[in-house]
This record gives sequence, C-alpha cells and structure tokens, in this order.
Amino acid sequence: MPPSCEKNLMRIMRQMRRPHTRLPLHNNFLLSAAFAPSSRRISSTARRSDATTGTSEAAQSKSSNPKPRKPLTKEQRDFLSSALRVNQTGELAATLIYTAQTPPLVNAHPHLRPLMAHMYDQEAGHLKTFNSLITKHRVRPTALYPLWSLMATGLGWSTALMGREAAMACTEAVETEIGEHYNNQIRSLLEMFEQWEAEGYEVGPEFRDLISTLRRIRDEELEHLDHAVEHDAKEARPYWLLTSIIRAGCRGAIWTSERV
Amino acid sequence: MAPSRALTRLTLLRRAPSSALRRYHSYDHPAPAGIFNASEQAILSAAYKHVPEHGFTQHALSLGARDAGYLDISTNVVPEGPFSLIRYHLVTQREALAPRREAIFSKDANAATTVPARVERLTWERLLGNRDVNHRWQEALAIMAQPSHVPASFHELALLADEIHFLAGDTSVDPSWYTKRGGLSVIYASSELFMTNDRSPGFGDTRAFLQRRLAEGGSLSNAVGGVTQWLGFTASAGVNVLRSKGVRI
Repeated sequence: MPPSCEKNLMRIMRQMRRPHTRLPLHNNFLLSAAFAPSSRRISSTARRSDATTGTSEAAQSKSSNPKPRKPLTKEQRDFLSSALRVNQTGELAATLIYTAQTPPLVNAHPHLRPLMAHMYDQEAGHLKTFNSLITKHRVRPTALYPLWSLMATGLGWSTALMGREAAMACTEAVETEIGEHYNNQIRSLLEMFEQWEAEGYEVGPEFRDLISTLRRIRDEELEHLDHAVEHDAKEARPYWLLTSIIRAGCRGAIWTSERV
Repeated sequence: MAPSRALTRLTLLRRAPSSALRRYHSYDHPAPAGIFNASEQAILSAAYKHVPEHGFTQHALSLGARDAGYLDISTNVVPEGPFSLIRYHLVTQREALAPRREAIFSKDANAATTVPARVERLTWERLLGNRDVNHRWQEALAIMAQPSHVPASFHELALLADEIHFLAGDTSVDPSWYTKRGGLSVIYASSELFMTNDRSPGFGDTRAFLQRRLAEGGSLSNAVGGVTQWLGFTASAGVNVLRSKGVRI
C-alpha cells in the first residue's frame, strides 16, 4: 500500500511539473482540482495504514517471539546520516526564508499574516523534529551552516522585496524540490524495509516512526506548495527564470549538504 | 598511467578516514561488528595485560599471543603491530565510558548538572583510564605521531570527543557542534601529555590542569557567543529602525 502511494504522488508531481511552464492557467486548474485533494487523501490513508500495521505488529510481537533485526550496513548508515543531515539543513533554511520574508511581505499585504505565521510554525516544528533526530542518532550537522543561513535569509528577503508573487513563487519552487527530495528518501527507506522483510527480518519501530515523520512533513511541505499556488505564485514575472534559478539552487544545496 | 594511479591512491587515502566517520546510530537494530575480529581480539586482550611491564611493543604482543594459545608468529594477524595494541587501548577505554556513565554521575550528582560539568567529569574519567599505562604512554604517543598512524590517531581522538559530548547530553546542532568537539580534542590531548609527567598523588595536578583549560575554553566561547549575539541584535535593531522610518526593506 505505501509504495503505491508514493508512486501515485510522484506521478502527480511529475504531471504537475512538466506542463506548468507552458500552460499556467490550465495548470492552476489542474493543481487545485487534482493535486490538492489527492495529496490530502494520500496523507490520511498513509497515516492510517501505518497506524494499523504498527498496532498489529506490536500485538504480534507480544504474543509470539519477535523476529530478529538486521544490523545496518555501512551504506545504509551513510544514507541515513546524510538524509537526516540534509533534512535538518533544509528545515533550517525554510524557517530562515519565512522569517526573512514575513516582515516586508506582511507590511505590504497584511492579509498574508496568518498564512505566513502558519507556514513558519510548521517549519519551526519540522526543524525541532530534525534537530532532536540528529542529536539522538549522533549525526553531525552540516559544516556549511553559516553559508546556508546567509543564503536562505538572502533568498527570503530578496524575493519578499520583489513582491507577493515572487515570494510565493520562491515558496513554490522550494517546496517542489523539497517534496521530491522527501519522496526520494521515503522510497529508499521503503526499499530498505522490503529487502529486510524479504530476508525475514523485522523493521524496528525506530524506522516506522522515521518514515511516518517523513510522510507527515512531506505532506505539510506540499500543503505549503498549494498555498503558494493559490496565492498567485504563477503570476510572478519572469516566473520561469525565478523558479528555475531557485530550484537549481535548492538541488545544489541538497547535493552539497548530503556530503558536507 | 602513473598520475591516475597516484590519483586513485589519493582518493583512497582521503576516503580511508571518512569511511569511518561518525554515522547514524540506531537504537533498535544491532550495532555493526567492532574493528577487531575474534583472533585479533584474543591476542590483543592478552597482550594488553603485558603492557604495564613491557610497554606497547612487539614483545608484549608475542607474550600475548602465547598466552592466548597462539604461536609467537601469529602476531602477524595484527597487521599494525604495536600501534594495534595502542588502538586497542584507545577503543576499549572509549567504549568503557558508556556503561559507566550512570555510576559516574550518580556518585557526585550535585557537581555534574550542566553539560560542561559532565564533559569535565567524563574527560577526567577517561584520563584515569590511562592510569595503568601512564608510565608507558610517552612511547605510545611517539608511535601515534608516526606519519602513517597520524590519521587513525586523530580519528580516535575525534571519536572520543564525540563520545564524551554525546554521553554528557550535548544537543548542539549548529557550528558549535564542531568547535566544542575540536576544543575538547585539543584540551584532552594536552592533558594527556601533562599527565605523563604528573607525579602528584591521584594525578591531582592533571585534574587541575584539565579544569583550567576547560574554564579557558568556556570563557572563550562565552566571549565569542556574546559578540555574535550583540552583532545580531544590533543588525536586526538597525533594520527595524529603518523599517519604522518607512524604508521598505
């Protein structure tokens, strides 16, 4: 069930990404009609199925002796530490972008205050989650912390100065990349689980929690994407230039933080 | 051909320490095997008992091999010779800290309430781990300083600094993660060197030395933190003043 959800979402995201550079109006319609409800539906089913499998497994392990758990290989530990590191960096950057965007944006458009506060609060919650995860799992934080802080603040502030549409286009571009990035991580984790289960090992609750956290956060990030599109992100001029620069920057930052 | 081979060797060299860097630590899934295999473990643990008398030498290794029921020649399974014995000491002493954590902190609970206090306590505990081999430790430091062993020695030092901060409950997730561990590595290494010449009862001088260095580190980080905070406050206050004057930034 979960892998098919991921695939569905990926297909939707891909559909959504391809045409929208050329057909902004049509795509707006597509997004609000198809994407927003489906993402919500997916998130709720995913969470429910997680919860049910979790409880049934707990019951099983109580009644019968539990299956063994496999030690993590070097590659898996590398993957997990770089995944947690890059997620913490990303959420740090997101909180800083919203912090920098809020004052100029809210000054010009007071009606955006609740939306910005809502998005900031969610990002701050994500940052707290990943901060505690990297401390708990002894993952080193990114060494380029000051650089990312500076760049994220600069990005948020400059797009907010360019106006409401540019700020929303920035949110849209960033959240598109982030949503895809989280999906890739979830897919790798599910592959790991499938392999363990095929070999007759059990997946520990630590990893079940991790994947449900990642799913929840991904859904919230994609919700921000919806909000940005609802608030005329596509009206930004020049939209294609702005979003492609920001998205290339995001991909570069993700690539770098996975390593450094 | 030659440059490419040199290049691969260079990348191998660069990869060697990074492959053993601090990685994801799982609580549910069993930990991977240690760095010593069974026969190495047997020989090294037996040889370690001869260290106070014979030092970190090939001789101690041969005696250990004989004690463990191997032939003298089987010290060949320990590829790095005396350095493996030193590494065995470093690894076992580092790993011994975690199980003793509760005992260490319950003994003087009133003293170790803050993270720096716990770091001091754990570092001292680790220094005491050198007690039995302290008179041989200068030889060991000389072997560790040989160019081929320097990366592994620094790596062990980094692992120790990380272990101490983890056990002390440090939760920094910003650049202070690096400065704290780097600072402790320097302080630990100098205290260890100081300890080799310390003749005071119970190594009291070493502990005073350690506490002085940690206090200096603490005041330095306070000063840097204070300046950073002041700069940040001034900058944001300046921006807010401009905003209040109607500048659209």
